[in-house]
Amino acid sequence: MTDDRRTILEMLAAGKITADEAERLLAALDSKPASPVAEPVSNNAASAASRAKGRPKYLRVLVEADESTTGLKGGPTTVNVRVPMQLLRAGVRLASLIPTQAHDQLDQAFSKHGVPITLSQIKPENLEEIVDHLGDLTVDVDGKDENKTRVRVFCE
Amino acid sequence: MIPWSAFVYVEWCTRAHRNHRFSLWIPLFLAWLLLLPLVLILFPVVALACLFIRVNVLRLYSTAWGILAALGQTRVEVRTPATRILVDVA
Repeated sequence: MTDDRRTILEMLAAGKITADEAERLLAALDSKPASPVAEPVSNNAASAASRAKGRPKYLRVLVEADESTTGLKGGPTTVNVRVPMQLLRAGVRLASLIPTQAHDQLDQAFSKHGVPITLSQIKPENLEEIVDHLGDLTVDVDGKDENKTRVRVFCE
Repeated sequence: MIPWSAFVYVEWCTRAHRNHRFSLWIPLFLAWLLLLPLVLILFPVVALACLFIRVNVLRLYSTAWGILAALGQTRVEVRTPATRILVDVA
């Protein structure tokens, strides 16, 4: 029994997902068409399905700016960055190093700049979940009018 | 696993439309060997500092090691009409 199957069955046993959702997830693992979706799946089931697809390995950032943006004649300027997801996961663990006595000051600073974050409530597993969900992230930004700058952020 | 080497490639075009290339293979493992004694020597100082700011020194080192180990397969490429720069951490 694979780990993914075990996870799905444990979620079913714990009552986190219904039998129909478990069946769809197992079918997704087997890559066979399941019964038509009659109702939306829960968040836990969606997360398990995305994990079953395979975790993304890299975060890619592609920037392409044309001559009018950069001022460099002869063609566009491109920036291509590939960052391993493991680096992101290792980086978010830095947040756990912040001393607790500094949390209040940081929370106030964040709130002052319009970001209502409470650092003491952020746990490593929350950050891991955020990084896991980055696999569904795709950002496409196209400059408007004459500014033909394009930015793409995605995971692969 | 921490990266053992890095590759830097630079290509540029001069006004005479001549392409010049330069590539460099950097043995990072030598840098780690050189830095290891420094890390060991500075460990008491870092431990005292962590004690002062109430940070677990072992967690600090394990986090730093995790970041270092995850650097592998990082790639940055910048390409302009006249220049191309590639940095690849293996």
